Amino acid sequence: MQFEKQVEILAPREKVWKFIWDIDRFIACVPGCKDAKTVEEGKRYSATMVERVGPFKVEFPTTIEVLEREELTHIKAQASGADNKIGSRMKIDLDVNLREQDNMTVVSFIAGVDILGKLAALGHGIIKRKADQVLDQFAQAVKTTLEGDQ
Amino acid sequence: MLRRFRLEEPESVAEVSELLGRFGDSAKVYAGGTELLLAMKEGLIQYERLINIKKLKGLGEVAGDNGTIKIGALCTHRQLETSSLLQEKLPSLVKLEQNVANVRVRQAGSLGGNLCFAEPHADPGTLLMALGATMIAEKTSGKREIAAEDFFVDAYETSLQADELLTEIRVPSPGADRRSAYLKFGYLERPSVGVAVALTLNGTTVNDVKIAVGCAGPAPKRVAEAEVLLAGKSKDEAVRLLPQAGAIAGRASEAISDLHGAQDYKEHIVGVLLKRAFNSIVS
Amino acid sequence: MSKAMTRPADGQTIPVSFKLNGRLQEVDVEPNELLLDVVRDRLGLTGAKRSCDVQVCGACTLLVDGRPVSACTTLAFEVRGRSVMTIEGLAEDGKLHPLQEAFIEHGGFQCGFCTPGMLLASKALLDENPNPTEEELKHFMHGNLCRCTGYKKIIESIMAAAKKMRGSA
Repeated sequence: MQFEKQVEILAPREKVWKFIWDIDRFIACVPGCKDAKTVEEGKRYSATMVERVGPFKVEFPTTIEVLEREELTHIKAQASGADNKIGSRMKIDLDVNLREQDNMTVVSFIAGVDILGKLAALGHGIIKRKADQVLDQFAQAVKTTLEGDQ
Repeated sequence: MLRRFRLEEPESVAEVSELLGRFGDSAKVYAGGTELLLAMKEGLIQYERLINIKKLKGLGEVAGDNGTIKIGALCTHRQLETSSLLQEKLPSLVKLEQNVANVRVRQAGSLGGNLCFAEPHADPGTLLMALGATMIAEKTSGKREIAAEDFFVDAYETSLQADELLTEIRVPSPGADRRSAYLKFGYLERPSVGVAVALTLNGTTVNDVKIAVGCAGPAPKRVAEAEVLLAGKSKDEAVRLLPQAGAIAGRASEAISDLHGAQDYKEHIVGVLLKRAFNSIVS
Repeated sequence: MSKAMTRPADGQTIPVSFKLNGRLQEVDVEPNELLLDVVRDRLGLTGAKRSCDVQVCGACTLLVDGRPVSACTTLAFEVRGRSVMTIEGLAEDGKLHPLQEAFIEHGGFQCGFCTPGMLLASKALLDENPNPTEEELKHFMHGNLCRCTGYKKIIESIMAAAKKMRGSA
């Protein structure tokens, strides 16, 4: 499943960039994500993702690995985790790009989301919709948080 | 393989509500089990307790009085397809029930369970919306009525509160000129698209049109915009407007691309079924 | 009357007393035990098969109070006070049921995996509707899958049995 999102933030690029690396605040913007920890500054992080569709709940202990980092412009990262209780795995390949436009920072990201295992029984359509909702909420939360800072 | 759980067998709504309130997410109401047990066997969901509500009295009957048909939430699909009252008053619901899953599922599965599980591909919610049904939700401190269109929130999600139990489904008893139909289409075990239409035919005019779509998207939906388009029109004019109404209903279905079909395909089928359902009741 | 082996009292157990193929049976079950497992593994009646495990195929069909259910998705305690028929109870006094005879005569089975379910489901149909049309038969039986016969022979078998049963009634 591939998703492309773009969010325009009324804040300078340096501020957005700094925010991204402020792991606690950044993770707070990912719906259902908690317990963020820095394993290796700038390279490796861990967190727990809890998502829900109706009564179905998954909890992925997640490792986030930063694969590429180009100051102020680009980040490539991969998040992966497994819920052994349910028998499901997830992997998110994230490609984030920042650019300046007028007085705004445009953050665009491409997320390749793979959900494997029993969770698939809920149906591809339902999972895709959920992933889309999570990404939208995330983009909105980043914008709100950063713009609220002004 | 089903993991261990504890079975509770309360005998009153108040006890059920109290148990739900006390145990929250770790307990679940169990009736026919046709959907719940599948999810539990698959290991997708676990509960420490199941609350068997089949010992509750009075939730397993179909009755009609004062212009309302009352269907107990524990009525099985089998009971509904063989109910003489429904055969007389709501033949469209009987036809739907005759075609739910297979004979074994209909034997065990309850209407209440079907609605509460809110599996996106379930049939009854869509028709009940078009029939103007309301759901009765009860808990220790009281009871409330929820319109069918407000009952479904999302896939697998209803507007029931954590300690509420669906006890009854009420359908206004249709007058002599009231007609309804539900059509579904699919090639897998569950339908890809379901469309329900209800209307009153006064001479050659169609009035009080109700349209609902289901299965294509996350939850059944009333399609008020399509209803308004057709209501008050002559039969012939309404038929001419059906493609437009179908397109509106297709969009409203929030169709999802999945194994059951691509989004545009499902939207198209919504239009086809709407046309067929409409024609079947006005001709 | 027989008392089946009782499981270790590991958590909650529910005493279940029911009729199994006409004879009283008592067994203590845990809430999560499935009827199919109790019948196959604890009571030794292996005619019903676990196949799809999601109520689609009908290979685990049993009759509870004369109606077909999927034993793979029925909790065992649900048969308290009820009457359960498995394929082992269909023949009486060593004499095959007319449906069984018809399935043999008309080639209604090949590998035999779906056959117990087919027979019990069709028994339930003929008990409530002794003279079904082919359409009614197909509608009733569409939840019982067969991967060998192409269904034609099954339909012929059931129709032939129905005719014979009407004749002898």
